[in-house]
Amino acid sequence: MEPEKFYYDNKIVKQFAYATMIWGVVGLLYGLFAAFHIFLPSWGMHLEYFTFGRIRPIHTNAAIFAFVGNGIFTAVYYSMQRLLKTRMYSDLLSKIHFWGWQLIIVSAALTLSLGITISKEYAELEWPIDIAITLVWVVFGINMFGTLLQRRVSHIYVAIWFYIATWVTVAVLHIVNSFELPVSLFKSYPLFAGVQDALVQWWYGHNAVAFFLTTPYLGLMYYFVPKAANRPIYSYRLSIIHFWALIFLYIWAGPHHLLYSALPEWVQSLGVAFSIMLIAPSWGGMINGLLTLRGAWDKVREDPVLKFFVVAVTAYGMSTFEGPMMSLKWVNAISHFTDWTIAHVHIGALGWNGFLTFGMLYWLIPKLFNTKLYSIKLANTHFWIATLGILFYAIPLYFAGITQASMWKQFTPEGFLVYPNFLETVTQILPMYHIRAFGGTLYYTGLLLWVYNMYKTVKAGSFIADEESQAVPLQTQGKRAAGEGWHRFLERKPILFLIAAMVVILIGGIIEIIPTYFIKTNVPTIESVKPYTPLELQGRDVYVSEGCYNCHSQMIRPFRSETERYGEYSKAGEVVYDHPFQYGSKRTGPDLAREGVKSGKLYKPDSWHYNHLMDPQKINDKSIMPPYPWLAKKDINLRLTPKKIRVMQKLGVPYPEGYDKIANDELMKQAKGIADGLKAEGIDVEPTRQVVALIAYLQRLGTDIMVEKNK
Amino acid sequence: MATNDEKNNNLHHANEPEFDEITHEKLLAGHEYDGIRELDNDLPPWWKYLFYLTIIFAVVFLLVYHVFKSADLQDVKYEKEIAAAADLYKREDPAKAAASLTVLTDNESLDDGKATFDKICSVCHGKHGEGLIGPNFTDEYWIHGGTIQNMYEIVINGVLEKGMISYKDQLSPKQIQNVLSYIISLKGSNPPNPKAPEGDRWVNGEKVSE
Repeated sequence: MEPEKFYYDNKIVKQFAYATMIWGVVGLLYGLFAAFHIFLPSWGMHLEYFTFGRIRPIHTNAAIFAFVGNGIFTAVYYSMQRLLKTRMYSDLLSKIHFWGWQLIIVSAALTLSLGITISKEYAELEWPIDIAITLVWVVFGINMFGTLLQRRVSHIYVAIWFYIATWVTVAVLHIVNSFELPVSLFKSYPLFAGVQDALVQWWYGHNAVAFFLTTPYLGLMYYFVPKAANRPIYSYRLSIIHFWALIFLYIWAGPHHLLYSALPEWVQSLGVAFSIMLIAPSWGGMINGLLTLRGAWDKVREDPVLKFFVVAVTAYGMSTFEGPMMSLKWVNAISHFTDWTIAHVHIGALGWNGFLTFGMLYWLIPKLFNTKLYSIKLANTHFWIATLGILFYAIPLYFAGITQASMWKQFTPEGFLVYPNFLETVTQILPMYHIRAFGGTLYYTGLLLWVYNMYKTVKAGSFIADEESQAVPLQTQGKRAAGEGWHRFLERKPILFLIAAMVVILIGGIIEIIPTYFIKTNVPTIESVKPYTPLELQGRDVYVSEGCYNCHSQMIRPFRSETERYGEYSKAGEVVYDHPFQYGSKRTGPDLAREGVKSGKLYKPDSWHYNHLMDPQKINDKSIMPPYPWLAKKDINLRLTPKKIRVMQKLGVPYPEGYDKIANDELMKQAKGIADGLKAEGIDVEPTRQVVALIAYLQRLGTDIMVEKNK
Repeated sequence: MATNDEKNNNLHHANEPEFDEITHEKLLAGHEYDGIRELDNDLPPWWKYLFYLTIIFAVVFLLVYHVFKSADLQDVKYEKEIAAAADLYKREDPAKAAASLTVLTDNESLDDGKATFDKICSVCHGKHGEGLIGPNFTDEYWIHGGTIQNMYEIVINGVLEKGMISYKDQLSPKQIQNVLSYIISLKGSNPPNPKAPEGDRWVNGEKVSE
């Protein structure tokens, strides 16, 4: 058959590549800002848009979905066309995908700055944006499978297996974790509550790491590493085994984010077991990456592209070993809630994702512009600065995490906590935060060099939007031939491949999530646990909106060191009306699960909370919490109270029939009580202010179960 | 995995080398994607055994905790930890210590008291004891009595309605004695921004009626 002439769409690749760089500059700047802000609370300038609780979600969302996201699409749109010998299925869908995704990013940045969030980590965006993400993702999918179906190559290469698994899993994760009932255009409550919400969230959160930061980048690695090194893939057989093992096992590991929590322990244990089994499948990717470079090591010394790839793959190997280790309960007891986790994820993010992205564009941009890289020397400088940056970032945080965890757990010979004041354990590790910020600055400097180098390369080259190529059209694909391996067969049946991947990734989620939702014994109910009052509910929404969960957990683990510090450990039945759950994942400040318990270890009067929220440094000059003066100026939205109650009722929260009609009266009664109390302490504040609602919520925390105990 | 099916594809790739020129390992026929070839290497044995080992670990782990139940789950482990601590630390009854309580003036005790004060008390009573949310410690006025015994009562029982919690589980009697001695030593230190006096005037451990 005669070869056909066709054109690769390079324009869409270029657009995604530019977006990768632009969002890299923005997303990492937010990260750098957060790194300084964490020890310089005044950097928020007393503005709500710049508090750590809002900055951090912007940073994580921008780094994951904007920087890495556009990196994924750059890789997919470039490599798929070439691996399948065809132009993308539809230029229009490519365009919609590109601009839709960028719009989502911009709307994410805006809404998160304004405190519009549902507080589920890496899924903070409110429901209209969730719908937009789903639509754009579907567009991406149609474009991808349309391309697969019009391919001129019989079999699909391992990179594309990973793209397919990515697409289907992200779709499933995003849709299920976004089940939410809207209250207004910018406010919704998730369908799940408490422990169930936590499980769904971390099933999502963990697999966002797996299927957004890992599998698509493995696909990227499988294309760009052998291309740049001009070496064959080490082992096709390893590709098959590690691909299927990885996507099957990954899904189960989510509960390792909830070890020692109130999550039923059988689910926790599955999380541990499957995390350990993930080591080898993850390393399969590392081995295939590194051993593909055999015979090219002399090139690695000279070529910055390969240097970046080698460190990226090594970082991947390190963090995929460390992750399972952190999933062991006895390690997690130390690492969880500390900066150890932050160090861990940044080995992956800065090392694996960052370095692969840098390497990819150092290789790709000169290709797209038909020129040479502007400066190899500058790229090498970038490489060393960024590598040092990672070390200066991660090592101090490991040290900080272990130091703080051990301070939390130390007892005096009489059996008292050595450091009963949480702040002491923060003050101790501040120098580590300073070094981390220095490391971040180094990494960011490297990033700027990268962008500059790319800019100069682009300037020197000439872009070809439609690159000519030719290939023989694909003959009709028959049934499985005699002697054809089952996998080889699957590789020429992309839709079947998609279905197989979907089945494999659904198993773990179904087994872990469905029983906790439908089998009552998994979340034992507690009689004394009652729904929040309308004021507390409004206050809770303020807590969510300000992103308090970014620094304060609400999950006391069953350790003596925690119950001595915070009070009775957290039970699943206590949070059955928590839409969304607020367990948190990091303690930059103390746990708040029992903050409201009057006879508890942490109780503070309303006036203390007021003064502390207005100016934490006035209470303690070493505090690193930013001030929240606007809470005393801004009102809660009373108009929404009845609707909020009705939505909660729909979600199964047992407010009495017709309660929505009297909710605001009840709210005002409670708010006036708090405002009067504050007045007696010399604090003048309107009862409708956000701070009053927030105080009401804080004083409710953890109290339900203590009522029962007093009986 | 190199199976007969490759024969079908060999037509397109008749000129491809069969072996990698550097490692001399066998290349898979028909596996060529935009110039990328794949080697017919087997799984590295150490990798395979590592995988088996982790699977064995996972199975044993689940069996031990959830089938044979031969290891404690977290709730039971916690109960045991608490029980062990109760045996280990025979804390003296804080109420007993009250009777024999005296104000200490040696530097060591006062330094230890200051350390506790800075960590815990200053949060509500001001960095220099000048009073903030809680009352001023540097004047002669006391709401709940001005003797060290009175103060001790407050520290171990708290004044919950005012937001003063009980510290009997956070501070040992000796630590409380030290911090109270330090607080008493603050009298007349005249720090800036003092809170207005509250309660009754006490001089030399006696209430003075005015």
